[in-house]
Amino acid sequence: MRDRRRSRRPAALLVATALAFGTAACGSGSGSAGSDDPNTLEVWTRSNPDPAATYQRVFAAFTKKTGIRIDYQPVINFDQQLQSRASTKDLPDVMINDTALMGSYQGQGLLKPIDPASIAGHDQITDKTWSSTVGIDGKHYGIPYSRQAQTLMIRKDWLHKLGLKAPTTWQEMLSVAKAFATEDPDGDGKADTYGMVVPGSAQNGYAAWWGASFLWQGGAKIIEPDGKGTYRPAMDSAAAVNTVTWMKDNLFCGDNGVTQPGALTAVTSTATNFQDGNAGMYMTGPYNIATFDTTPGKDKYEVVPAPAGPAGGDVLADGENIYFGARTGKAKQEQALAAFLVSPEGQRLAMTGKHQPVVRIPVNSTLDAAKVRDDARWSVVQKAYEDSSQQFPNAPDFAPIKQDTADSLNAIFTYCGGDVRSQLGELNETLAGDLKDQDLLK
Amino acid sequence: MTATVTTPAARRVSGVLSKKAVVPWLFLAPGLLLALVFKFWPMAKGIWLSFFDVQPFLGDQWIGLDNYTRVLTDHRFQDAIGHTLVLGIGQSVGAILLGFVLALLLEGQARSLKIIRTAVFLPAVTATAVVGELWRLMYYPTSDGLLNSGLHLLGLGPVQFLDNPDIALYSTVAMGIWIWAPYNMVILLAGLAGVDRSLYEAAAMDGVSLWQRLRYVTLPAIRPALMIVLTLATIRGLRVFTEVYVLTGGGPAGSTDVWMTRAYTLGFTRNDIGGASAASVVLLCVTLLLTVTVNYLRKRGDAR
Repeated sequence: MRDRRRSRRPAALLVATALAFGTAACGSGSGSAGSDDPNTLEVWTRSNPDPAATYQRVFAAFTKKTGIRIDYQPVINFDQQLQSRASTKDLPDVMINDTALMGSYQGQGLLKPIDPASIAGHDQITDKTWSSTVGIDGKHYGIPYSRQAQTLMIRKDWLHKLGLKAPTTWQEMLSVAKAFATEDPDGDGKADTYGMVVPGSAQNGYAAWWGASFLWQGGAKIIEPDGKGTYRPAMDSAAAVNTVTWMKDNLFCGDNGVTQPGALTAVTSTATNFQDGNAGMYMTGPYNIATFDTTPGKDKYEVVPAPAGPAGGDVLADGENIYFGARTGKAKQEQALAAFLVSPEGQRLAMTGKHQPVVRIPVNSTLDAAKVRDDARWSVVQKAYEDSSQQFPNAPDFAPIKQDTADSLNAIFTYCGGDVRSQLGELNETLAGDLKDQDLLK
Repeated sequence: MTATVTTPAARRVSGVLSKKAVVPWLFLAPGLLLALVFKFWPMAKGIWLSFFDVQPFLGDQWIGLDNYTRVLTDHRFQDAIGHTLVLGIGQSVGAILLGFVLALLLEGQARSLKIIRTAVFLPAVTATAVVGELWRLMYYPTSDGLLNSGLHLLGLGPVQFLDNPDIALYSTVAMGIWIWAPYNMVILLAGLAGVDRSLYEAAAMDGVSLWQRLRYVTLPAIRPALMIVLTLATIRGLRVFTEVYVLTGGGPAGSTDVWMTRAYTLGFTRNDIGGASAASVVLLCVTLLLTVTVNYLRKRGDAR
């Protein structure tokens, strides 16, 4: 006890000194680097400390090159913070956040429209990628920054031990999952392994986020555009009923062990069974590659395309866009930053380094993710993004649609005795209501 | 302490009533100012926003009571009321009973009791989010989980504590009781310390049973403490959020969704600030009403 107290004293002194210096730095800094300074941009990203370190490196390179200073704020609970900043009508100059939130932000008037031609190097981004930032009124409201698509992470040592190969169809995936659950792939003599990891909670819409790939692979859609700027809900289709029924019967209400225990209340931060080494498959985004290389270990698993369903192998793609906050008068500086971020140099910086990379699949078409990282697994992800991926429609405000879909899927998977057709019919009516709220219902 | 300092000072300037009246306000000023800026102003703003379709940059639109009718007619909010009541009442009653038992067991001056009391009090000072993670592990739905391994020894289970929609709410109640019982225990201990010992001796002389002693001596003596605990528990029960959010996130299938988690989802995942404000104002009104009622009953009880 005494030892600890003694060691704490210098630490306390250090903290106090750091605080004193910190305040001094702030005091002198606020004059030159305040948010009113036209040569300083306030930039927000939704990042934990580790990826934030990567952003910091990227922004430092930008400042060195252009002299424009960045007041960088990594914000963990981004949406809450942004909503409270919005209520004071004082937004950050530049925000980097999920693509699927664009419609929501635009609907609230938080974003400045963007002319792609005003961003130097805009022609190095493919038309397909640019098209994903078109808002409901036909204008662009974001600049693509990073893209990703889901792939299947699978334990290759387990496959090897059981003499199986990586699944390419739903049926194969199911039999591999059952084998993982029942044939003791880790060889410890205990029945403590599971087939696949599912973040199936309705919280934050996870069930819809994870389930979307299955819906598309089964030929279903959550909502579909009618080509005239309006949408209709599509969860009552035969394809949707078949797909959801298949998922319910096989993944949630079938044999034990196909999904990890607690899947119905799991969010991504609690669905850690893949890195804990007790589940063999996880269909997820490539940002987990860095984590999984540590545990279970780079040599223990492989990255393969997601198994295909009856209607193909499309997976969910998403990523981050660069957004400009409405009503700030620093257009030149913002455009310079965006141009740097999507340039080969900016993208390369954000894809490498010892901290978690913040660009997964580069939006700059002159770059190849696998080459930049010298890691062939990234070509699987890049190919999935380019050839067989779909995104949530981002023109409408997708947040309520995703949440309602997740609520409904979670309920269907929880109550095994329910009637899928009528439950999806109810969901469809709810979705129609959501679209109607946005004046988007056909 | 402050009272003994100010009283002589005030006496010296006797006659200047206004000054005497000002001093307490001066002491209160910093707290009041903070409360004004961080509590009452946001609260007022929340009430104001609940009448609008909130779009900060496009201009808020006055929609009157629409948010209220929407929230109150939403079947998920209606379900949430039921869950809030079960959770609130279950958690409050459970935590008060357990807190009372703990207080009775751990009352006294012995040194070892102090250590045990501290240990028992720990849940109340641990961050609820941490407790939630801990209980998630304890509730792990296979025989690897702490509780299920216990059940396994008895040849039972494994129980899907959190993933079975029929059980999840009660699992949350159990965690709530665990968190709040020690908190209640401390207040009740303070109440027990005020019980006149001679009454116990007299009761012992009269040869009354343990139950009679509790019923006619202890309970009446700690009535004020019980009332405080009850009022706090009522408020806490209604606005329960963290316990549910970290343990189940309102799932599975919305079976543990309470009023606050619904309001949170509305405000922050659906970006419907107006609706979330309306839901919060409804909760504020109900809480106020309940607190006033409990207080009224307490005063009436005191008068009698």
